[in-house]
Amino acid sequence: MFKALGKKWGGKLEFTLFSLPVLICIAVAFYIPFAMTIRYSLTKWNGISKHPKFIGLDNFKQIFMNDANFTSSAWFTIKYAVLYIVLVNVLAIGLAVLLDMKLRTTNWLRAAFFIPYILSLVIVGFIWKFIFMQGFESLGESTGWGIFDLSWLGTPGLAFVSILLVSIWQSIGFYLVIYIAGLQSVPGDLKEAATVDGAGPFRTFFNITLPLLAPSITIAVFMALTNSIKVFDVILSLTGGGPGGSTYSIAYDIYRDTFQNNLYGYGTAKALILFVAVLFITMIQLTLFKRREVEA
Amino acid sequence: MRKKRPAGRYALEAVMVLLSLLFLYPLFLAINNSFKSFGEVMSDVIALPEKIIFENYAYVWQFINYPKLFMNNLVITIVGLAGIILVSSIAAYKLARTKTRMSGLIYLLCIMPMLIPFQSIMLTVLQFAKQLHLSESTWGLGVLYWGFGAPLAVFIYHGFVKGIPQEIDESATMDGASGFRLFFLVIFPLLQSVTTTIIIIDVMWIWNDFLLPLLMVNGSPDTKTLTLAAYTFVGQYTSDWQYAMTAMVMAVLPSIIVFIFLQKYIVKGVVAGAVKG
Repeated sequence: MFKALGKKWGGKLEFTLFSLPVLICIAVAFYIPFAMTIRYSLTKWNGISKHPKFIGLDNFKQIFMNDANFTSSAWFTIKYAVLYIVLVNVLAIGLAVLLDMKLRTTNWLRAAFFIPYILSLVIVGFIWKFIFMQGFESLGESTGWGIFDLSWLGTPGLAFVSILLVSIWQSIGFYLVIYIAGLQSVPGDLKEAATVDGAGPFRTFFNITLPLLAPSITIAVFMALTNSIKVFDVILSLTGGGPGGSTYSIAYDIYRDTFQNNLYGYGTAKALILFVAVLFITMIQLTLFKRREVEA
Repeated sequence: MRKKRPAGRYALEAVMVLLSLLFLYPLFLAINNSFKSFGEVMSDVIALPEKIIFENYAYVWQFINYPKLFMNNLVITIVGLAGIILVSSIAAYKLARTKTRMSGLIYLLCIMPMLIPFQSIMLTVLQFAKQLHLSESTWGLGVLYWGFGAPLAVFIYHGFVKGIPQEIDESATMDGASGFRLFFLVIFPLLQSVTTTIIIIDVMWIWNDFLLPLLMVNGSPDTKTLTLAAYTFVGQYTSDWQYAMTAMVMAVLPSIIVFIFLQKYIVKGVVAGAVKG
């Protein structure tokens, strides 16, 4: 191809032909909108008037100085992310260890725990809303247990727990399969040697299995972090931010300001803050990850 | 572990199976109540239907125009996926084979967007898509996914191509193949295993995606996706749980059926995608 152009120019043309399409696609999806976000974040604009009004850094000042919604949604997101990361990983490791014992039903069990992960989060949220609002009533009547009579979506504390519970329910299968794959790469004779040396199952787990699982833990924590910091869909369908606005996450708060309150400039300023936060956290994670790889 | 008493084994097995059934109970309840009348749902959610009725399904099928929605999902997913695989694989191949500063820079530009959360750019994506006339159209939405899916796909392909010996390119060049022909006839077939991984993670993502379709194609019933229709449906029928649950079941059924048949590949693909990503 392109022999007429000479070797050097032919090669360059081919390089361009191969790599330009992807650059255009990525620019359309990310870089151009991102540049627009930076521009809008410095303006006051409701989306209707022709020209956004340039106001410098006023949006950012407003967000950090006196925006109660931003503060409370930031706290919500941090609390949620920490609890989600810890719980989903601990539970998934526990389950993975049990499933790794080569039970006869392991394949079925793995599939069963994985199923919710293939479903849309919005729909999972609605199904659970139905369970919390209607199902728990019937379950309470037939079991007589008090926990089914609580208002799981109607009180702020419990609504938080519900969101956490549903998110974990939906995604635990994903972490489970990562850990199962990790466990399968732990050599069996290492565990046997530990048992022969008189280590009980708990010592074997903490001294042999867990350290060898470190690469999987890094991946899983990383995924849990990036997903939890952007939590949105499940809240939208499960609580809609309620009760009393107590379950707004950062992502949902941005959505509310931008599309429900039509504060285009203000909303994009918040969106930019979310980007910087995500970037910062990812950098820290990647640095820690690199350091551990060197040690290993 | 092999020496453990079988009795304990069976107990553990039984407990785990019970746990998994409990885990899936919410899904069972959703399906269960999609076969009941309104009165039955209201009086007792956990009871089985007295008589299985399909009226809810007939009603929702008609009301949301299910075949149309299904086709929309299919168009968006296929258009998106085909584009992602095409543009990402050719670029990743060329970038991995070219060892210049420029190539390294372009590779970095390709993968850096993985750090940008969608919510940070959602408003401006929508605005820009409107200018390009990509909004309010299933094809347009599919095209937009090319850029959103490319960073991860380029990353995975790039890592894999580096493991394919350069000699293969060279011997193909001697045989007279070059450029796109070399890529599609010789290289692309070698990428099959990673292509499968990318297909699996991207289909799960695009098929179930919510926020981007909500912004892009929610305006008209002709362009809605299954998830969007279920979302709108619940908004309109807040207390008609029998219809709502039917809509949910119909929205998730395709995924569940596909999962049952391709379980092994899906789990493998998801793990491979996570480990490489």
